[in-house]
Amino acid sequence: MGEAIVITSGKGGVGKTTTTANLGTALALQGKKVCLIDTDIGLRNLDVILGLENRIIYDLIDVLEGRCKIHQALVKDKRFEDKLFLLPAAQTADKNDVNPEQMKELIEGMKAEYDFIIIDCPAGIEQGYKNAVAGADRAIVVTTPEISAVRDADRIIGLLELEENLEAPKLIINRIRPHLMEAGDALDVNEITTHLSIDLLGIVPDDERVISSSNKGEPVVMDPSNPAALGYRNIARRLLGESVPLMTMDKPKPGMFGKLKSIFSSK
Amino acid sequence: MKAQVTGFLKNIVNIKGTNKGLLIQLNDMASYTEILDELKKKVSDPALEGDAEVQIQLAKRVYSKGQLDEIKKVIHDNSKMKVIGTKCDVVTVEECNRMIAERQSETYVGIVRSGQVVRANGDLVVIGDVNQNGRIEAGGNVYVLGRLKGFAHAGASGNKDAVIAASWLEATHLKIADELETMTDELDSLSEQPEMECAYLHTSGKIIIDRLQELRFLRPQISTFKGGS
Repeated sequence: MGEAIVITSGKGGVGKTTTTANLGTALALQGKKVCLIDTDIGLRNLDVILGLENRIIYDLIDVLEGRCKIHQALVKDKRFEDKLFLLPAAQTADKNDVNPEQMKELIEGMKAEYDFIIIDCPAGIEQGYKNAVAGADRAIVVTTPEISAVRDADRIIGLLELEENLEAPKLIINRIRPHLMEAGDALDVNEITTHLSIDLLGIVPDDERVISSSNKGEPVVMDPSNPAALGYRNIARRLLGESVPLMTMDKPKPGMFGKLKSIFSSK
Repeated sequence: MKAQVTGFLKNIVNIKGTNKGLLIQLNDMASYTEILDELKKKVSDPALEGDAEVQIQLAKRVYSKGQLDEIKKVIHDNSKMKVIGTKCDVVTVEECNRMIAERQSETYVGIVRSGQVVRANGDLVVIGDVNQNGRIEAGGNVYVLGRLKGFAHAGASGNKDAVIAASWLEATHLKIADELETMTDELDSLSEQPEMECAYLHTSGKIIIDRLQELRFLRPQISTFKGGS
């Protein structure tokens, strides 16, 4: 019996879809059978980030309205032998064309076949959010070290805690820039976790290659040498029950002057 | 002897001098029209002092607001006396329930997150943080065992003596009764370390923030604890 996890954030642009794609891919790399569901109806992106845009034939609405069977709508990612699937959102409908009961029923029916069902939630707290959360067993809240994103995460956590069928939500802090945190110009990991007071599932450093790989349709997590990929892989391992220590951020190496300064200041 | 006792009881309206001014006692057994007639007669007595302040003792009887207004009108129309208040030995069930509710204390354990509102009729104790855009409201006082970073409203039903106290007071908005204060940087009462502080409504009508230790002098009536050594 699989587990349904919703990835949500409240605020847009913090990396929900990127996180969904990378976590799903990381779990598939670990040999788990994963299905990703894009619930951002009308503004679908997950298919693009996974590079599966051209393979879509049917979508979520087609399944819910009975125009096709689930297996016809699922897009298989050929890079992972029968491990990673996508149920794309419809682009020609809107969020009000789906209701939470339909989503619940759909996901309940899929749990037998998959180890993980990862639901990509749209931004906001309206109908799209309600649809995305309805079928989930647990929730992951994605935020970035920005006050606006943390405020919205706080709001979303409040709403998630009201859901009876949901386990306590867990936190991912995305797009961490170590030098800004070091200088105190961005909220640090501790500040964010104390403020939101939920368990931290993992941190992901900001990396340019996340953008370039998303543009190529290859989730960054496939490159094992990338720091952001390591962040996602660690999170996937924690989801599987391993205890993995929180990654340390690479600080830029001090130059000649910095070294001299540290020698003198240590006295 | 007997005549004296019954004499007092027979009086429908009694005017008495006290150290706090005049007191008009209305017999709670007499009929309302009787009281009005007798009152008119008594207050128009030229022997009474001019513009004294009086209180009305209603005893064990509940008058409607209309009746009270009528009684006051009789006094104001027929004398120079000024009614400054009424005393009543009974309260309605409704009033009583409201008073009980306002004296009770409710406890909320958990975080009040953005968009959430926690309300109490009486005092409110929050054990946990109140995050930005979270709101707590109480008819009585507000106490936060945690960081108050959102909106707190004490004395929501009009009690100007209500206070807001927190282990860490860095609210965005404070409201006591009808007075709202936005905690902007311009406010000079804001401290660097907002630890163990309380906010109260000063007689000037402004909300003032002070150290929590001052609360026992500012609002001694909050303490209900009796005895101890």
